[in-house]
Amino acid sequence: MRRPAPATVRWLILAGLLLAWELVPRTKVVPELFLPALSKTLAVLYEGRAEYGQNLLVTLYEVGFAMLIACGVGILVGALVGGIAVLRNLLLPVFSSLYAVPIVILYPIFTAWFGIGSESKIAFAGIYGFFPVMLSTAAGIRTIDPQLLLAARSMGATIWQQIARVIIPASIPTVLAGLRLGGALTIIGVVVSEMLTSAAGIGYLVSRYRTILDSPRVFAAVLLILVLSVLFDLLARWVERRTVVWQTAGRQGRTIAARTPSPATATPAVA
Amino acid sequence: MSRLAIVLARLALFLALIGAWEVLPRLGILNARLLPPLSDVLSMLLQLVGRANVQEAMMVTAAEVVVAFVIAVPLGALIGVAVAESEYFGEIFKPMLFYVFSVPKSIFLPVFILVLGIGFHQKVAYAVFSTLFIVIMSATAAVESVKPEHVLVARSYGATRRQILFRVYVPSMVPILLETLRIAMIFNFTAVMIAEMYASRTGIGHLIANWGENFQMRQLFAGVILLSMVAIFFNETIRWMETKCSSWRT
Amino acid sequence: MQQLADVTPGRVGAAGASVEVAGVSHVYEGRDGRVPALEDITLTVGAGRFTVIVGPSGCGKTSLLMMMAGLRRQTSGTILCAGRPILDPDPQRVGVVFQEASLFPWQTAMENVEFPLALRHVPAAERHRRSASMLNLVGLDGFGGRYPHELSGGMKQRVSIARGLVQDPPVLLMDEPFAALDEQTRMTMGHELLRIWSQTSKTVVFITHSLTEAVYLADEVLVMSARPGRIIDRIEVDLPRPRTYEMMATDRFGRLRERIWQQIRKPD
Repeated sequence: MRRPAPATVRWLILAGLLLAWELVPRTKVVPELFLPALSKTLAVLYEGRAEYGQNLLVTLYEVGFAMLIACGVGILVGALVGGIAVLRNLLLPVFSSLYAVPIVILYPIFTAWFGIGSESKIAFAGIYGFFPVMLSTAAGIRTIDPQLLLAARSMGATIWQQIARVIIPASIPTVLAGLRLGGALTIIGVVVSEMLTSAAGIGYLVSRYRTILDSPRVFAAVLLILVLSVLFDLLARWVERRTVVWQTAGRQGRTIAARTPSPATATPAVA
Repeated sequence: MSRLAIVLARLALFLALIGAWEVLPRLGILNARLLPPLSDVLSMLLQLVGRANVQEAMMVTAAEVVVAFVIAVPLGALIGVAVAESEYFGEIFKPMLFYVFSVPKSIFLPVFILVLGIGFHQKVAYAVFSTLFIVIMSATAAVESVKPEHVLVARSYGATRRQILFRVYVPSMVPILLETLRIAMIFNFTAVMIAEMYASRTGIGHLIANWGENFQMRQLFAGVILLSMVAIFFNETIRWMETKCSSWRT
Repeated sequence: MQQLADVTPGRVGAAGASVEVAGVSHVYEGRDGRVPALEDITLTVGAGRFTVIVGPSGCGKTSLLMMMAGLRRQTSGTILCAGRPILDPDPQRVGVVFQEASLFPWQTAMENVEFPLALRHVPAAERHRRSASMLNLVGLDGFGGRYPHELSGGMKQRVSIARGLVQDPPVLLMDEPFAALDEQTRMTMGHELLRIWSQTSKTVVFITHSLTEAVYLADEVLVMSARPGRIIDRIEVDLPRPRTYEMMATDRFGRLRERIWQQIRKPD
């Protein structure tokens, strides 16, 4: 018997899951508190679109600000740490040790300092996203092929031309991968901090409806966040593909996959 | 720069940070209510460690972390090896795992609470859920890190299956497996902390969240320092083992 | 580009210039103190000549080439190119082709060839014209829009040669450019290089490990000793040009090759 193509099986599994989400709750085997039917969740989402929309805007505002901080500071510090040997030897091991600390325990400090408004979320999520951006920028700059710099020098490139024409383009793929991870983490950071203490945002809705055991509305908010993070991931990957067309296209299209370190070493704690 | 110089420079940086933390709040340059001087925080830390309710909370947290770890790591490793060993199932599940992996786990925390309440089981279940996927992915990577040509060489010299397992697979995989333990613990610890901070009656995470809400900054900072030290200690221990075990790696 | 092409039929760009290396020594600080890497190297490469340097691994031949390119500074001695000392990279006088083609992967073949011109802010139209004519010279017409990963190893080195020649320097330095290629491609590329060389009359200094390649390409082969690197022999290759593959089977070719081999294997 011929086995169906893996991609087909994947779609079948996804369809099966969605179908189960709809049918299992209807059979009353699982109480609605545990899992409301998909149709009900979507209906609730549509009914409450004004409320969800409003809170989504708050979340997006916080995510945007936090990403700006995480990416800006992350690229700056990463470039310094990656480019300057003294800083690298001094700080990189310290950063990777600090990495073990669950950053979420800092959040109560931020709420105490900045209140329960958007500021504390932006600060927390900014730090959350900072690390992967910084680390991959540093790695991107450190792993540039020294032969390329030598070749540029042989053609008379000044130090600024080397930075602008070799170091920056050569580190773009790694930096973009870092931005994707860092961006995902800022979204998580914002949502988690909204869930913990806040007065607005999608994470706040999740927590509020959970305390009153309104399961469909919890699932609706969860679904919204899920869609948001998947959309961000797709967008980031699309940008990566467009930007590093010189690496992904053609025969050696797998070079990026081959160069990407194992997920364990590359991925920070996705809370 | 020599090793000694680096160590000294790091020490100087560390002392400068500590000094700033002590002196700036004392001089009133930073608000001591928002950032209590380090010595106050440290003496609070000593007091806290002696308190019965804190000790109890620490035990609860430790139990949650250990139980979740003991479940998640073997389970994830098993699934990971299965996925890596079967080409067909690997092709089906690997892209899905990658996707599930990139989805934020913490948004499912409310679902765990709806189903399991806010007790010990819920914390463990959520931590296992958070940790499982990274273990699966790392185990897959570990199996794939075994070079086929090494297996081929072993077989050509007549190694038995057992010998291939213990003389080729295990030594090749040890460094990645240790790395997996380390990363899994980071995920695991983070998950337990979030779960405790979010909704709980006990545990260190619960205490920290409470101290923050009640503006007890000395207790809060003391708790953060305590947890950070535990996390860094575990992390550095495994890292030290990694360098011991993988000295043959470049 | 100069209009020389019109003056001398079949010839492209400015002709070669001499390279003079006088009393060059190099010492670097190793773990166990000062290590002499090059010792009193003196050599002259006449304008338009094809000189090949061979020697055991680690004899410092690449270091010497880097010094000729101005990419590394020697401890003592002088290097003149076209009569003036080389202290820093001067792409107008010296083009370099590296072992790994060292093409920028984010640029197309055309953009890679234009790179040195872009550094000097040459207008785009002029850049295109010159890089197109260089790609044509190295036999890559129609491949300008490809990215390096879409080119074979031999084609990458062709691009690299075009890049080395695009500023029309009188001297081309080549550091084992074909070492990473398979044997057949290597032979073809050697042949192609001779064609390009005869069309441009550049001065070429070429490093290789392959004795066959050395004899096939060179006007003169310089043999270096193991560390500290010294010139221990100069062999004039008096085979007629244009060289052909058939020559490799001749006794004369074999004797030249044998003489170099005797020099290199000599324990000293």
